[in-house]
Amino acid sequence: MTDDILDQLFRRLHAEGFRQVALELVQENVDQVRFSSNTKDLHNHWNEESISVFAETNGRTVSTVIKDASALDSAVARLKEIAARTPENPSFSSLNPEPQSYSGMPRARSSDVDIEDLASAMINGSLASGSERVAGLVYNRRSAVTVMTDHNRCSYETGGIEAVIRAFRGNFTGQEAQHFGIEANVDSSTMERLGAEAAETASLAQQKADVEPGRHRVLLSPYVMGNILTYSSGFLSYYSVETGLSCFSDLLGKEVSFPGFNLHDSPLDFNGVGARLCDEEGTATARIDIISGGVLKSYLHSYSTASRAGVKTTANAGIISPRSWQLQLDAGRRGYKKILEDMGDGLLIGNSWYTRFQDYRNGVFSTVPRDGVFLVKNGEISGSVSGIRISDSVTSILSGVREISREAKNVKWWEEIAPSSMPYVLVDNVNISRAF
Amino acid sequence: MSGELLDKAMEYASSKSRYAEARFMEISTNDLAYRNSQFEGLNFDTESGYAVRVINSSIAMAYSDREDWGRLKEAIDIALKHSQRPGKAGIWEGKPIKDTWSVKQRKKIEDTSIEDRVAMVREFDRIMAGAGATVRVNAVQDKRIRQRYINSLGSDVRGDISRVFYFYMIGVVDNGEFEQSTKEFGSSSGYEYLETLNLEDRITADVRDLHESASAPRPNPGKFDIIVGPEISGIVAHESCGHPTEYDRIVGREGALAGESFLTGKTFPYKIGSDAVSVIDDPSMEGSFGYYRYDDEGVPSRKRYLYRNGYTDEFILNRESASMIGKGSNAGGRSSSWDMEPLARMSTTYIKPGDYKFDELFEGIRRGIYIKSFTEWNIDDMRFNEKYVGKEAYLITNGDISGRVRRPVIETNTIKFYSAVDAVGRDLEFSAGMCGKGDPEQGVDVWMGGPHMRLRGVYIQ
Repeated sequence: MTDDILDQLFRRLHAEGFRQVALELVQENVDQVRFSSNTKDLHNHWNEESISVFAETNGRTVSTVIKDASALDSAVARLKEIAARTPENPSFSSLNPEPQSYSGMPRARSSDVDIEDLASAMINGSLASGSERVAGLVYNRRSAVTVMTDHNRCSYETGGIEAVIRAFRGNFTGQEAQHFGIEANVDSSTMERLGAEAAETASLAQQKADVEPGRHRVLLSPYVMGNILTYSSGFLSYYSVETGLSCFSDLLGKEVSFPGFNLHDSPLDFNGVGARLCDEEGTATARIDIISGGVLKSYLHSYSTASRAGVKTTANAGIISPRSWQLQLDAGRRGYKKILEDMGDGLLIGNSWYTRFQDYRNGVFSTVPRDGVFLVKNGEISGSVSGIRISDSVTSILSGVREISREAKNVKWWEEIAPSSMPYVLVDNVNISRAF
Repeated sequence: MSGELLDKAMEYASSKSRYAEARFMEISTNDLAYRNSQFEGLNFDTESGYAVRVINSSIAMAYSDREDWGRLKEAIDIALKHSQRPGKAGIWEGKPIKDTWSVKQRKKIEDTSIEDRVAMVREFDRIMAGAGATVRVNAVQDKRIRQRYINSLGSDVRGDISRVFYFYMIGVVDNGEFEQSTKEFGSSSGYEYLETLNLEDRITADVRDLHESASAPRPNPGKFDIIVGPEISGIVAHESCGHPTEYDRIVGREGALAGESFLTGKTFPYKIGSDAVSVIDDPSMEGSFGYYRYDDEGVPSRKRYLYRNGYTDEFILNRESASMIGKGSNAGGRSSSWDMEPLARMSTTYIKPGDYKFDELFEGIRRGIYIKSFTEWNIDDMRFNEKYVGKEAYLITNGDISGRVRRPVIETNTIKFYSAVDAVGRDLEFSAGMCGKGDPEQGVDVWMGGPHMRLRGVYIQ
């Protein structure tokens, strides 16, 4: 599909009586290598195109994704039929009518990368550093995106490399899962380093240790923090706030963490794969301060939610339900190893997964630590812990933050961690539970 | 798209590979939602495309969403090139099969009007509001899948699948305390399924239970005899039996993602608990949300015992993992869309009912808790260390229910859980769900279920 088809569809929708139209054309080339037990399982290759359609007439909204250019006629007819036969959607007020100016695109690295070689480098780097076996994957994704509305038109390129490696050594594991946007440099040595780091985590402690359930000081890795803040980002959407399902309701302008806690949405950082120049209604993206100096400064907004809240859009459309693009937690001053040395007794947690909530309004959840869970005694790792959970609330975790590391990683992993940049974070009074 | 290039793709791919498969799939969905009494629009999507798998020195797949031979050939050529590089290359081939199948619908998706769908979901919202739910999210989806699968052995299987799914989430505030509940209902059928559920009574009871739970006391931690409801039996069957018996996990193929299995390295059959426990996965159950007569690799489906009388039995196998264990596929190969690889997946997973009447389960419990349903849950990547937080729950004193308790927590492991089961009810209920696995993430439609069960001496937090 081409920009001509986008224009043609835009005209057709208006000709059929739709007053406001937002289209997003995505043309994507993706390669993926998956591997386990040190050898390749599969090479996947995708070549796909789609146009996401959002249209409004007389307060009625319709949406679809068109993947077949020959099906434009039937899609438009179906949209018109739905609009005529459904109620108004009060969650939509308007697309952003203000003319936008977009940042320039950075110079993109070539997309011509041999990801089988990158996967091999990662596997070999890990085995050379002590892994007994590894599993993981490498993606190379390049997307050309055009967003077209009645008021704006925005085109950009995004994507990049994603690499995941999990290292196994005996009963112990370590994992790295990082992303590199189209502006970032990435080569075999980068992959070797990731493999080695995963192996080093798996090798940090070869003896088991126990921890009593209760409140502990915990140093959370970039992956754990990325996981918790990925889930939290849903609560930061104004859509969740007004639905009554956000633990950040009524906290705007209030202190939610320590003064060194600065959380942004950072979609213009093309070192990450979550980068984009505009949101889904064509609003130019920008770095958004969400939490500054520990104070909640802003929810995430589309034009419609911002209109209801009486504020300006933050360019996070999702036209109906805003969402973050690429979270960034500002790094601190000291290295994480120094923080570890000075933390006294507690836990270092390398990764977590299966985060689930029993209470969205109060942010009560648990998540299962994995891939490097260590008991820390007098600032030194004294053993590897298993069978525990972080069973706490988002607001309690944020209010317990005491220090943030100088190092940060671009983390992204499966459905657990959205593309983000996260440092290590030291948190006091984290509730740890365990199985009986 | 019509899928007219499928045979040409097969002919081309098989001429240049040791083994080849081609699949055309068209998926049409309609989704509509109400949020706190506000209509949120109706979204429809139709997507279709080709998936081609080739095997030479390794396995490669290519996906294309255009009826354009030049583009499709280019994608196949890329896959062929990658398949010449080293890697795993095992596949169970089996015998060729030719067949056509479809899901029966009485109230057909295509005959259900937009107005009827809107009215139905609006009515759910009205019932919730009337019962006192302050948070109300309702979503209904219908789906129609048309698929044709062919392979280089001569298989040719055509399927036409219809599914209906209803999700809701409610929240209540009582005395300043918040409680929430989510429910999922789904079936391989037309819209007639939702009419069989008596949803007005279910929703009203759910809201009432949340109000009563919000003001109930937390239990004092300690050991209790417990009775769990079918909803919990179902999630346990899914998480700590279905997932760990997916053979690709056991051999580490999901190691960096959804994880491996506590069964890795064990000698089989392996004892997992009480002989009262058998767990079945049955894709051939007509009407179930996970129903299929043939999987997405053209293999005929059948019932599988995953645990039988307290021991492991079969594993869930797709063509690739079957080759690793030296057996035939038992039709576990599912892919959520045309552009996804088939993985070893569950369908309808449930604990086999026993002989006990509901009342008989309570006999002999001096101090216990009846946990009927759950809210938060999770499990580790080995599918061993698991947690279930009760939603609707009651104290049991001397065999009788003696009041509600709030959010009792079971945090235990798979062997301890199944070993504690000493009585299994004769009832059987199912819940629907979306099971996630793979990268890219593939959510597939499943049922999970079971009877009420009694467990002895479980530590409750």
